[in-house]
Amino acid sequence: MEQNALLQLSHISKRYKTQLALKDISMTLRKGEILGFLGPSGAGKTTTIKIITGQLRPTSGEAKILGTDSSNMDASIYEKIGVVSDNSGIYEKMTVWQNLSCFAKIWRVSNARIEEVLRQVGMSDYKKQPAGKLSKGQKQRLVLARAVLHKPRILFLDEPTSGLDPSTAIAIHKMLLDLRQEGMAVFLTTHNMEEAEKLCDHVSLLYQGTIVEDGSPQEICLKYNKRKRYHLLLNGSSEEIVLEQTPENAVKISEWMQKDMIQRLHSCEPTLESVFLQVTGAPLVSL
Amino acid sequence: MESVTKLAAVARIKWICISRNTMIMLGPILTVALVYGCKLLYGQKTGGELSPPLMAMLLCLGISTNICGDGFVMVGTAIAEEKEKHTLRVLMTSSVTGWQYFIGSIALPFLLTNVVNVLVLFVSGISFEQVNLPAFLLVGAAASLISCVIGMIVGICAKNQMNANLIAYPFMMVFMMIPMFGNLSKTLQQISGFLFTGVMVEMTNCFANNTPYTIKPLDAAVLVGELAVSILAFLVLYKRNGYEKD
Repeated sequence: MEQNALLQLSHISKRYKTQLALKDISMTLRKGEILGFLGPSGAGKTTTIKIITGQLRPTSGEAKILGTDSSNMDASIYEKIGVVSDNSGIYEKMTVWQNLSCFAKIWRVSNARIEEVLRQVGMSDYKKQPAGKLSKGQKQRLVLARAVLHKPRILFLDEPTSGLDPSTAIAIHKMLLDLRQEGMAVFLTTHNMEEAEKLCDHVSLLYQGTIVEDGSPQEICLKYNKRKRYHLLLNGSSEEIVLEQTPENAVKISEWMQKDMIQRLHSCEPTLESVFLQVTGAPLVSL
Repeated sequence: MESVTKLAAVARIKWICISRNTMIMLGPILTVALVYGCKLLYGQKTGGELSPPLMAMLLCLGISTNICGDGFVMVGTAIAEEKEKHTLRVLMTSSVTGWQYFIGSIALPFLLTNVVNVLVLFVSGISFEQVNLPAFLLVGAAASLISCVIGMIVGICAKNQMNANLIAYPFMMVFMMIPMFGNLSKTLQQISGFLFTGVMVEMTNCFANNTPYTIKPLDAAVLVGELAVSILAFLVLYKRNGYEKD
């Protein structure tokens, strides 16, 4: 296993009867890194998380988590990881505090840490409230609070902001960036390319069980920026013009700049979504 | 020590879930109420005095309902509820091991079924002079344990709470009805002798008839054998799919 790597997948494949769900997946997650698995529904993101967290066995290949094969995970490994999925349940008949204190006992975590985590997710005022009466966003924050309660070394997030309102999603993004600062490694699956671009140090684009592209979001976008173009809005005009990267256009833009005629100027490198479309011919979010 | 802490945490979770699930908690309460209600009704005609066969019938009714109805359902439904609410997977990926979950899940239902057994004994009105209390507690504990393990089997097979009740029914029919109606047919009585609930019913009949009761080798073999078989069946199912099939 590579030094500093907390998680390493080597040639993982998974077959369900006749359907091949994952094909030859390899990737590495290091300390303090956010790795994004980006793909549409059914691409194999959740299957990958289940294999890594020992809930499913791969058909072939090797998944090593904290130096241990994921097929042989024991309690000592589970104590060092946190898992959040879109169907991570909470005990609805318990209060917010009880939900966390039960797991705090399992992980031998102090009550002070529960208070701290509740503050981090903005749920301090709801600790006596039955979890069943929380809104969807609050429930998701509670799930996240529970997943980071024991300060795991790796946090697995399966579509953590799916279906959440923008303010909750932003709060969760902020928390993830803070956790990365603290050295936590985060494995994030999402079909939200904006989320991936904002949070991830490294992304793998997954389509029909295969990684079709990987690298940092910027690297990937620049790699596919083959037809360089610029969007310009000139003074006194309401229509944007698009110019290709040519020597003539470069001169033209330079002149406009010298004459202070440009109101707005943007380069038009592709987004992760357009790269995905270009590589697979399919959109990230199926309509 | 660490294992005990986790086990206690699971037992606490289970206790909160079970104690706040009205459907589950009604079982033990109704069992005691059923015996008490029947005792009052039958006692109206005789001025409160019940004949030994009636007391045996009441005790048998209460214990069978408790062991089968409450034991199977309490454990099975609680696991099914965890599957339904997606909390089982969370617990199993939180460093709780299979056996910690197993013991944590059956600990309090086991205790509760034993407490209800004793309550039913009190409420039935049988004189304590006729009761071999150590034998009652021992056989009751063994039967409760078997019913809790069968409850785990129900839970492992069930997808949701409704499904758990459906799966528990055949077990209830066999283990509750055959001993209860053992008096009606010789074949049923013979089959009853090989069921753990049958051992309990036979014991209650001895108490009611004021005949001395000792645990016979066949009774012990039935209790130990059925406990072993139920644990084995649970292990086979657990090995195949874990607590939740993917």
